[in-house]
Amino acid sequence: MKKKPLATALAALLTVPSAAAIAAGQSTGFVENNSPTGDAVVDASFNPYAKGMPTSPGYTPGVTINKENVEKYKDILDPGMYLVIKNGWYQVQTKPTFSEMLPKSYRDATKADYKNVKVDAKTGQLDGYVAGRPFPEEPSLKDPAAGLKLAWNFQRGLNWGDNGTINPFIFQYKDMKSGKVERVINIEYHTLNYKHRFENTPIPDITPNPSNVFRSIYLKVNSPDDVRNTQLLIQRYDDDRKLDDTYLYLGFQRRVRRLPSAQTTDSFLGSDLMIQDFEGYNDRVAAMKWTYKGTKNVLIPLYRHNELKLSSEFPQSNGYKFVAFGGQGGCFPEITWQLRKVYELEAVPVDSGSPISKRIFFVDAQTGALARTLIYDRKGSLWKNWIIGKTDPDYQLAGNKGSGIPIDDSFSMVDLESQHCTTGQFEGQINPKLSPERMFQVQYMRDSGGGN
Amino acid sequence: MSKKSTVAKRGAWLLLAGTPLLIMAPNVLAQNTQSGWDVHGYYENDTQYRGEDYTGHTAGLSKMRNTFQLSLGKQVSDHWKFHATLRGTFDGVYRMNASEYGNEAGGPIQLQNSAYQAFVGSPFTNLAQPFVPHGGGLNHDEATMLGLPPSNAFGINSTNPGAPNYNPNQGMIVLGQRWHSVNRGGVEFGVPVRPCNVDPRGCVNFGGYGNLSRHDLEFPEFNNRFDFLREVYVSGDVPLSPTKSLFIKVGRQQVIWGRTDLFRVLDVINPVDFSRNNIYDELEDTRIPMFITTVEYRMGASKWFQDSNLQLVWNMEKFRPSNLGQCGTPNSILDAGCFFRGMKNLWDNGGTVANFAAIPPGTPPNAGGAGFAATDFGPHQIGIRNVVLPKWTLNNSPVGLKFEGVSAGGALSFSLNALTYRSQLPSLHGINTAAINSFTGVPGNAGSPPPFNQIPVEHLIAFDMHFPRVNLFGGSMDYQWDWAKSTIRFEGAYTRGEEFANTLQPQLYSKNPVFRSVIGIDRLSFIPFISGAQATLVSAQVFFQHIYDYQSKHGPLGPEGIPDWKNNLTFTLLVKPTYMNGRLSPQLLIAHDWKAHAGTVSPSINWLVNNHVNLTAGALFHYNDLSRYGFDDCRSCNPWAPFTTYTNANPMQAFTDGSYGLGGIEPLGRFRAGPLGTAGKENQLFVKLRVSF
Repeated sequence: MKKKPLATALAALLTVPSAAAIAAGQSTGFVENNSPTGDAVVDASFNPYAKGMPTSPGYTPGVTINKENVEKYKDILDPGMYLVIKNGWYQVQTKPTFSEMLPKSYRDATKADYKNVKVDAKTGQLDGYVAGRPFPEEPSLKDPAAGLKLAWNFQRGLNWGDNGTINPFIFQYKDMKSGKVERVINIEYHTLNYKHRFENTPIPDITPNPSNVFRSIYLKVNSPDDVRNTQLLIQRYDDDRKLDDTYLYLGFQRRVRRLPSAQTTDSFLGSDLMIQDFEGYNDRVAAMKWTYKGTKNVLIPLYRHNELKLSSEFPQSNGYKFVAFGGQGGCFPEITWQLRKVYELEAVPVDSGSPISKRIFFVDAQTGALARTLIYDRKGSLWKNWIIGKTDPDYQLAGNKGSGIPIDDSFSMVDLESQHCTTGQFEGQINPKLSPERMFQVQYMRDSGGGN
Repeated sequence: MSKKSTVAKRGAWLLLAGTPLLIMAPNVLAQNTQSGWDVHGYYENDTQYRGEDYTGHTAGLSKMRNTFQLSLGKQVSDHWKFHATLRGTFDGVYRMNASEYGNEAGGPIQLQNSAYQAFVGSPFTNLAQPFVPHGGGLNHDEATMLGLPPSNAFGINSTNPGAPNYNPNQGMIVLGQRWHSVNRGGVEFGVPVRPCNVDPRGCVNFGGYGNLSRHDLEFPEFNNRFDFLREVYVSGDVPLSPTKSLFIKVGRQQVIWGRTDLFRVLDVINPVDFSRNNIYDELEDTRIPMFITTVEYRMGASKWFQDSNLQLVWNMEKFRPSNLGQCGTPNSILDAGCFFRGMKNLWDNGGTVANFAAIPPGTPPNAGGAGFAATDFGPHQIGIRNVVLPKWTLNNSPVGLKFEGVSAGGALSFSLNALTYRSQLPSLHGINTAAINSFTGVPGNAGSPPPFNQIPVEHLIAFDMHFPRVNLFGGSMDYQWDWAKSTIRFEGAYTRGEEFANTLQPQLYSKNPVFRSVIGIDRLSFIPFISGAQATLVSAQVFFQHIYDYQSKHGPLGPEGIPDWKNNLTFTLLVKPTYMNGRLSPQLLIAHDWKAHAGTVSPSINWLVNNHVNLTAGALFHYNDLSRYGFDDCRSCNPWAPFTTYTNANPMQAFTDGSYGLGGIEPLGRFRAGPLGTAGKENQLFVKLRVSF
């Protein structure tokens, strides 16, 4: 596609940058996509391992990293994992890296549209986006909008595809010091993309959609009794400047209530997670200031579910087994890790009332997933260590095979300050029938909860 | 054995049969899950201890309620599912605190006689005392001696069990002694408080309460309305398109309208059982499920709405009012159950009414002073004659319509509601001429001297209980207020047909349109010194009520008209932080009635011991201002001129006019005090343990 003349783009933005700034190529409004044209950019983005898997001096896949040898592998560990291994709370079992190719439809959508995508460095808003990965180009430290683009790559990323379901989704609250399981919560979790769809009809958008909702998350608590039938419906708008609308159904009230926006940074049902943590990051792009900090190779929890030693807890009628947990207090997933190319991304909340001072994400370059997150408290101390384990879909449920969507499969959120953790065990499914559109309506919550 | 007691005993067996089910719960759950049944439930013990009432007497144990609830659900086809909730309760308080709430409750009472000085030195020695026992007021012989017609019908039978209308001074309390002092010169009378199998006086079915035996009170769900079947319904969602569907739900269910907590502005489809724990249990547990059909056309997204829905509600079950609690039980909201039972007993058997008959100075001759003598009204003169519960007819079936949506853009969630129904609260209609004239012994004014025998009786405190038709139009909305990081909730309703006590009206009631609204704001705030990094929920609500066509005036002796406040506000504030990953959550709930100067402060703490055990402990502290509640009690309503005309007043009361405004706290002060003010002495501690599976 022919590149737009810069002057045209600027006129379209109604901005009047100085000629000097234009000459210097400074970003004064929308940042033009400066990457080379051509499908090679997209191919490189989705297959960074075409020329070989990442390596690190002294590291051999298969090694177990524990507190005795952790110093040797410090360079391929993020600070959070280094800390938990050094403290003897966890040991990381490594495996060879494999390429996790995303669905062809998503890659094709990227190729078709990425050249038209722009981001306004001042407002942070996306323009010209249809579907796929908005910014497949390699981020540059010289690009002040690089962090923002990575954030958009996640926000418009593959995630669960057009529809996703986790059911059951088992949360366990644990005292990390004693290992005592304080609470077990059974949830079902559904996602639906209203816009920018690429796989399941209608493509690219579901209509009518008068509110211009981009994506919805619906979850329902199935046990225990005190929170049974609690339901949450989160609607994120395509206009990122607009706050999410969140509806809450409480089983004992049998009413749907709109939830204050601040709820997204409060503990979710008393767990160590907040709604903002869901799927790695669950909030608006505009809620943070984003900074790209560099590219590196670190260990990431991507694995093949069926090759793990699985748990016999919570037997399912279909024979599915969950990821097992071990380590200090049973807070860490017994999974395998692999060395992968990641982008380090810093996010600082715009809201000064947020309980956190920043998040550091390690964005998997190939999948765009936020598999590792470090969360810092208001004082700037490392507060929580957030692991989301993903599995290759070809090695989990038969129904997910061939979907090309890496499946969220386990999580561990460790509150390092209170020595407490919440673990998650998933049965993730890519099946549009499990997340029908009517599930993402307020009325569905009433029906499902027994209210009217 | 009566049909009701048979049902109750079967129900009790069901409850007992559930006990092993609870013990075996994990196995049952596993088996049923495999068979497609979703089974869960709980056992709960709620123990409460109440402090002193206005007599200085400590009530003691006020609840030992044991509840077993079982919920069953099954998806019976792709679009249809079945649900049932069964509940059984046994409250041991009626046996464990029998002297307060059981077979030994109440006792002999004394009623104030402010005219006693007028009788000092007279032959009426019983009336020369500042207090008289029930049955010791102005009677037939004394009335005759005072110059009234010998045919007068004053006097009751409080001593002869073999004679009709035996109404002894035993097993009683003085009306209102639970919530206010009874030595204030107002009208009070004795109310039997023992369960109706022990003392049937004043017992009648007010609509699910009022005539209950101890067994009925102990096992409240096991009655002839099968209340142990709390919910049994089939629901189906028939897809019409990917976003449109027809939703149908048929069976006993709760239909909840509105968006606010505690206040029932739109949430009026199901009546409420206030006898369970006044206003303090969750509405889910206190709504009385009804057999209802709901049909919803779920339209999903459209050009104008992100989501929209049209709902039709038809309540098909025979009418039931809200349960206000039988007198003698721990929870009798507004103390209404006692007023009703006392009034019913007055009608059936007569009774002594404190400070009633005006004794002008010089009556009797040669005595000084003045005042109001405790008066013994005979049967069928004052009180409640009949309870007229609406029969099941198509016309009496409540029907409602709701349109609900989310605006395009998502900013506003709203509903528009309309409902026609029978009031769930009773209204007392004066029966006037149908009652016996205490002074002549015949109905109406027929026996009065001319020309008074031509005057129709009005403003007489003898009633039938009715449940009028009410039409409601309302709406609700919520809105996210970004700047304040808060959600604003609003709910409003305008009704026509509600009835209020009104001493300016001949039948002592009037129909008045009413507007009610609630505005609520919820905010989650990080308050580090309270709960560190976890948010504290702060939720505040303001409830507003306005009565249209309000009637009120100041008579020569005090206020008359509608006792309820024309405009009133009630505030609630909830502060709820959480600790220990949400497993420990203290809370402070405050409610304040602006006009009544009454309120509640309730601190409590909830501890989720584990997934199955939930412990809550707390307290309820009430306050009120008795000086605010005095209102026309109709002593001066002058129904039977010339005998009841206040000739000594200045100016003298006309022979046909209504009230002159003489008043006290009883009986209408309860409408000024409201639920918070009438609970002024129900301070209590509580501990609730729930074991769920």
